Amino acid sequence: MSGTTSVLHFSGHQYLRHRLVLSILSGKPVRIDKIRSDDKNPGLRDYEVSLLRLLERITNGTIIEISVTGTAILLKPGIIVGGSITHECPVSRSIGYFLEPIIMLAPFSKKPLNLTLRGITSDEQDLSVDLIRTVTLPHLQLFGLSDELELRIKKRGSPPLGGGEIQFLCPVVKQVKTLNFVEPGRIKRIRGIAHAVRVSPQFSNRMIEASRSVLNRYIPDIYLYSDVYKGEDSGKSPGYALSLLAESTTGAIHCSEAVSKPSAAPEDIALLASRALLSEIKKGGCVDEKHQTLVLLMMVLGSEDVGRCRLGTPTERTIQFLRDVRDCFGTSFKIVPADSESSNELLFSCYGTGYVNANRSLA
Amino acid sequence: MDARPHKAHHASQSGAKAEKKKSAKGKEKQKGFNEKAFAPKSGRKADRLGRRNVERDQTRLHVPLVNRTPDDLPPPVIVAIVGPPGVGKTTLLKSLVRRYTKQTLNQPQGPITVVAGKKKRITFLECNNDLGSMVDVAKVADLILLMIDGSYGFEMETFEFLNILQSHGFPKVIGILSHLDLIKKAATLRATKKALKKRFWTEIYQGAKLFYLSGVLNGRYPDQEILNLSRFISVMKFRPLVFRNSHPYLLADRIEDLTPREEIRESKGKCDRIVTVYGYLRGTNLRLGTKVHIPGVGDLEMKSVSILGDPCPMPDADSEKRRKLSEKKKLLVHAPMSDVGGVIYDKDAVYINVPGSFTRGNADVPQGEGERMVMDLQDVNATLEDRVAKSQIKLFGTSLKPLVADPGPSRLSESASEDEDEDSEDEGFGSEMEEDDFDSDVEDDEEIDEDEEDEQGVIGRGVNTGRTAPRVVHRTPAGPSTSTTKQSKEVDYAESDSELGDDDFDNFDSSSRRIRFAGDDEDNLDLPDEDDDDGDDEDVPRWKSDLSGKASEAFKKSKTKKKDWIKLIYGSDLTPAQIIRGDDPQTSSTNEDDEDDIFTIKRLDVDGPSGETVDRTKEVLNEEELKQWEDEELLDSIRGLFITGSSGQGDADREGGDDGYEDLEGEDFEDLEAQEGSGDEQENVQDPEATKAAALAAKKEALKRKFDEQYDDPESSKQDFYEEKKEEINRQLELNRAEFEDVLDPEARALVEGYKAGSYVRIELTNVPCEMIEYFDPHFPIVVGGLLPAEERMGYVQVRIKRHRWFTKTLKTNDPLIFSLGWRRFQTVPIYSLDDHSIRMRMLKYTPEHMHCYATFYGPVSLPNTGFCAFNSFSSSASGFRISATGVVLDIDRSVKIVKKLKLTGVPFKIFKNTAFIKDMFNSALEVAKFEGANIRTVSGIRGQVKKALTKPEGAFRATFEDKILMSDIVFLRAWYTIQPRKFYNPVTTLLTSDKGAWQGMRLTGQVRLEQGVKTPLNVNSTYKKVERTPRRFNPLRIPKNLQASLPYASKPKLVKAQTRQTYLQKRAVVLEPEEKKAVALLQQIRALRKDQVARRKEKQNERKAKYKEKLEKEEAKKDEKDKEKRKEYMRAAGMKSKREAEKEEGRGSKRRRKD
Repeated sequence: MSGTTSVLHFSGHQYLRHRLVLSILSGKPVRIDKIRSDDKNPGLRDYEVSLLRLLERITNGTIIEISVTGTAILLKPGIIVGGSITHECPVSRSIGYFLEPIIMLAPFSKKPLNLTLRGITSDEQDLSVDLIRTVTLPHLQLFGLSDELELRIKKRGSPPLGGGEIQFLCPVVKQVKTLNFVEPGRIKRIRGIAHAVRVSPQFSNRMIEASRSVLNRYIPDIYLYSDVYKGEDSGKSPGYALSLLAESTTGAIHCSEAVSKPSAAPEDIALLASRALLSEIKKGGCVDEKHQTLVLLMMVLGSEDVGRCRLGTPTERTIQFLRDVRDCFGTSFKIVPADSESSNELLFSCYGTGYVNANRSLA
Repeated sequence: MDARPHKAHHASQSGAKAEKKKSAKGKEKQKGFNEKAFAPKSGRKADRLGRRNVERDQTRLHVPLVNRTPDDLPPPVIVAIVGPPGVGKTTLLKSLVRRYTKQTLNQPQGPITVVAGKKKRITFLECNNDLGSMVDVAKVADLILLMIDGSYGFEMETFEFLNILQSHGFPKVIGILSHLDLIKKAATLRATKKALKKRFWTEIYQGAKLFYLSGVLNGRYPDQEILNLSRFISVMKFRPLVFRNSHPYLLADRIEDLTPREEIRESKGKCDRIVTVYGYLRGTNLRLGTKVHIPGVGDLEMKSVSILGDPCPMPDADSEKRRKLSEKKKLLVHAPMSDVGGVIYDKDAVYINVPGSFTRGNADVPQGEGERMVMDLQDVNATLEDRVAKSQIKLFGTSLKPLVADPGPSRLSESASEDEDEDSEDEGFGSEMEEDDFDSDVEDDEEIDEDEEDEQGVIGRGVNTGRTAPRVVHRTPAGPSTSTTKQSKEVDYAESDSELGDDDFDNFDSSSRRIRFAGDDEDNLDLPDEDDDDGDDEDVPRWKSDLSGKASEAFKKSKTKKKDWIKLIYGSDLTPAQIIRGDDPQTSSTNEDDEDDIFTIKRLDVDGPSGETVDRTKEVLNEEELKQWEDEELLDSIRGLFITGSSGQGDADREGGDDGYEDLEGEDFEDLEAQEGSGDEQENVQDPEATKAAALAAKKEALKRKFDEQYDDPESSKQDFYEEKKEEINRQLELNRAEFEDVLDPEARALVEGYKAGSYVRIELTNVPCEMIEYFDPHFPIVVGGLLPAEERMGYVQVRIKRHRWFTKTLKTNDPLIFSLGWRRFQTVPIYSLDDHSIRMRMLKYTPEHMHCYATFYGPVSLPNTGFCAFNSFSSSASGFRISATGVVLDIDRSVKIVKKLKLTGVPFKIFKNTAFIKDMFNSALEVAKFEGANIRTVSGIRGQVKKALTKPEGAFRATFEDKILMSDIVFLRAWYTIQPRKFYNPVTTLLTSDKGAWQGMRLTGQVRLEQGVKTPLNVNSTYKKVERTPRRFNPLRIPKNLQASLPYASKPKLVKAQTRQTYLQKRAVVLEPEEKKAVALLQQIRALRKDQVARRKEKQNERKAKYKEKLEKEEAKKDEKDKEKRKEYMRAAGMKSKREAEKEEGRGSKRRRKD
């Protein structure tokens, strides 16, 4: 009678991560098919399989069925247990790819999560561990998660060979707080981390110089740290990157990042990152573009009260995420322009589902 | 002593004493609190008093809880009347209903909702004696009227119910003692009251309210007593209970079967049904898409939810001015399962009760709802089509001309048939009574042109009732789109009231009175307006069309193109990329078709080298696009977004929150004003100085205030934790209310926030077992409980459990137990366990005495911290206390690790020094390999280790010990064996049985054997035999001579042979000297005397003991006698009670439903 819960149905390889997360959080089985079915190389990629394995390890009782061709998966979610886990990430994607969905799940596990991931720490596609540490985790603080929430970067690893290692610690919550964040405030400080591994340590200083040349005009409170890892801790490949974040008076954070490319000077990378930060700031909103889904998810999972948040224009990912949230939790957002004048800022408000961490044990 | 009587007292007329008294007389007597009397004398005392006061203040505080029930329109309070059979529950219910509505119900069934005050409605519910019903009622009731037979005392059911309440959140309880008139002696009455009160208080809390009801007058309790009770009910305040504050639920006051009749006929009534339940939503907001659980039936899927007009609305604004509820409003009662107005709604039929003799033309008999309905049916003399063709629509009752629509016959009939469909959905009985359906339809039309119809007189209303409007009771609008029907339902019947007042039959009158729906004609008048708006775009859901309209308007207004994100995201099929690009929803579909084959090619060059869209978080940094930031102008344009920046468009709305950095410059403020000001730019330009000055002044003022506050009293600005929390909660609630207020469309609102508590809804359930309808009994409450997403799943639930101290048997692992947990009642098989030194969960075979233990079972998940109670059986025939255990949920998991001890034994077959070969412990070398390194032990306590398997006897192994073991030793290995709870989950489906109390779940093997008459199979090896133990013989210890020689003296065995030769002393005889002789004799005498003394003393003591024993025996006998007397007394009372009951039963016939 109660065992026959309806199976959510999605297709396509896009948005796999948040769909899996939503399924595990809502407890509804999910079936995703047509995964690259028209591709020359059909089916799941190695990093996706690795992600599925990771999800299986941080949960208990999860059943994952992958079709023979790998173009369809069925996930029957179990409960999130957490605990201490070590996982080797393939070098095809960076650690950020795996950490982003885990951050969404970890607060709702049974035991505090202590996750060690090994692989590439920063690449072009996903959030680097620096950004996750300095931007993503502060976003979780908006929802009442702060104690013992930590990301330690033990070793850095640049593509293509990686060799980095991070440790992610996350506490358990009973229920996330309702968010009411409509004042973006004005930028009061800019911070950044320039790191360089297996290249000249001067590279990071050069990046800092270049970045300051763009940003110094706005605000004096700029600290860009040079973070050089040496020897064992610097991974297997050379590389450098600059990640920047701008914090406003109300705590809204915008961030950007640029990673080293072959035949690109550190100055170019720094300029790229700084300009990306400026354009990100220009987009406005209380939450960074890359963290829209995280914030919206936590709003949906809040208590049965109205949560509000002001965001910039939603990204494609966000739009699909909103649709999938409606399918999983039955919650839709009210989206209205934040004020009549400014053109692209939107006010998202929703009624929380009153999601209580049922996995948390009292014993 | 002299016998002189004492002098009588005379008050002194003069002197100091008389003076004092006289002066005191002048002063008026001090009343109330005398401050001087209680002022503390010492500083210490003052300190202690202060502390005590503060502590007392703290006890008043409770953890602030959010109350999710809306303040403006709360659902009716559920007041349940609970008690053993024959205690007077129905009488109380009738009296209370009579008190609130002035109507007498003959056969109150199901929930009865009445208006109790200006802002209060009450749903009364009588709970029958079934344990399942008691459990369900305990889960939903806000207030319990717990009835106790004063002449008999507490019964087991009362205690059971209180314990059920305790485990499900303990709502408020008022005790009511009835049958007090049966106690004749005043002294006994007083004593009984006192004793019962004392017991009641220990059970609930000291000072719990206990009411006394004396006898029954006219089948009701005395009016004054009921009035008092109703006053107590009305001032009752309710603290939200945690479980109900996190779940939506509904107490169904009406249930209907919507299954097509044909389907039922074909399946001979065995097909799954489509059922609608009606009731007020309570708890949190109900969302479509979640599952609901009906206790006694199971988990069900909601097909649709629709908000209906309130059948028992609160008094509205016009009566708001009055302090008290007007008499007219008092007449509202909503009780579809009862016989209000002679109509009873059953699951698939409507019964019309016609009092006395009834003829059609007879106008003297006041006609109830039912009669009118039937007569209307008989009056129909035109077909639907005709009626529709003739019907006209007037927007307002006062409008002269009806609306003239284009007479498209097809359209009309279409709408009519639509209407009909809706109706048939609305009214379950409609499917059975086709004429009725038709009629209601006709009535629909009638209401549209009420006046018109009256003029035409197409349908003569059999008897002229003086009413202008026809009444439809059962119908409630199925949502906003059917607001025409809403209108019909909300007709106010002031006239009919006066008409009834004319009749003099008071009793008769009230019995045939109808259900009333209040509503304002004024309100209804503007409804058709909205209707017409709707009519234009019927195909599109209303909110969507609305949005598009708004969107297009917005588009026209502002040059900048604005997207309607809600519609684009939730309402269109556009891909996210298309939405971002800003494709038009209309054109996109064609575009997509055109581009279909190009699409993939396009993607190929856009995306990464692998030629597919990658799931990435960071967008690709487009260097070309970012080049634009070389432009100085652009760089300067965002200066306003930084705290150092001064101008720019962004800062006007961005300055909240930063106090420290804000430097308010003139331009800044001008800008702000320009945005806010509605076009009077000139004024702003004129005096920028003035605005600047004003702003500065305001800022200074604020700073000054802040400083003053901090300087004067730094404490006062801070609120205490409690106040702060409360304020925070209130702020959030206010926000919740305000946020969606502008979303006018209820459907769109339901989409974002769910169906609000307090609204009267109709829930359509699919795949309902047919038995629920077939065996429907209005005496058993139907609770529809919403489930959280987590609760729909199954898993292993770990609970902390304690056997109830009144339950006589112990609970055994793997015996089925019925749990009442969350909304559900289910039977499952728990395994009891205890935490063994925090290392392992160790299975317990039986629950421990007076102690909590853990239990793990397979079943539906409930959130941790949910309370539960457990039963061994629900049947009323079970003797004794039926609640077997209570507890709380601790943990949810998908696997469990409970272990039980397993001892493997073996015997040595060869012993070396500290090494031995052990056999008979394992069966194969593989098993040994598994246990290599495991600790083993002999019975005598010598510890050892498993080393390696031996080849020869299969399963034997080599083991080493700390000492040499004996051949007679038994070696054992202590291991832990994991056991899994059985995956057995059996929902208690009492509502699906014809005899609700007779539900039976899985039985124990012993019970099955007993019922089947099968003997327990006897294993020969299990029988007890006499144990024969041969006494052990120990050989003497022999130490080799060589060894003995080399031993140190201390370790040498001291083996000395017994002396055979006589010693020197033995050889000689001793002769005593005379004085010595004397001394010995004296000693002997003294000893003899002493012996004699002791003997005598002992004798005496024995004598005393015997006496005491005799005395004790006597007392014991006396006590026994007393006990016997007491028992006799008790049995006599019980006999009297049962006799009385039997008499009552005879007297009232079928009313009592005691099962025995």
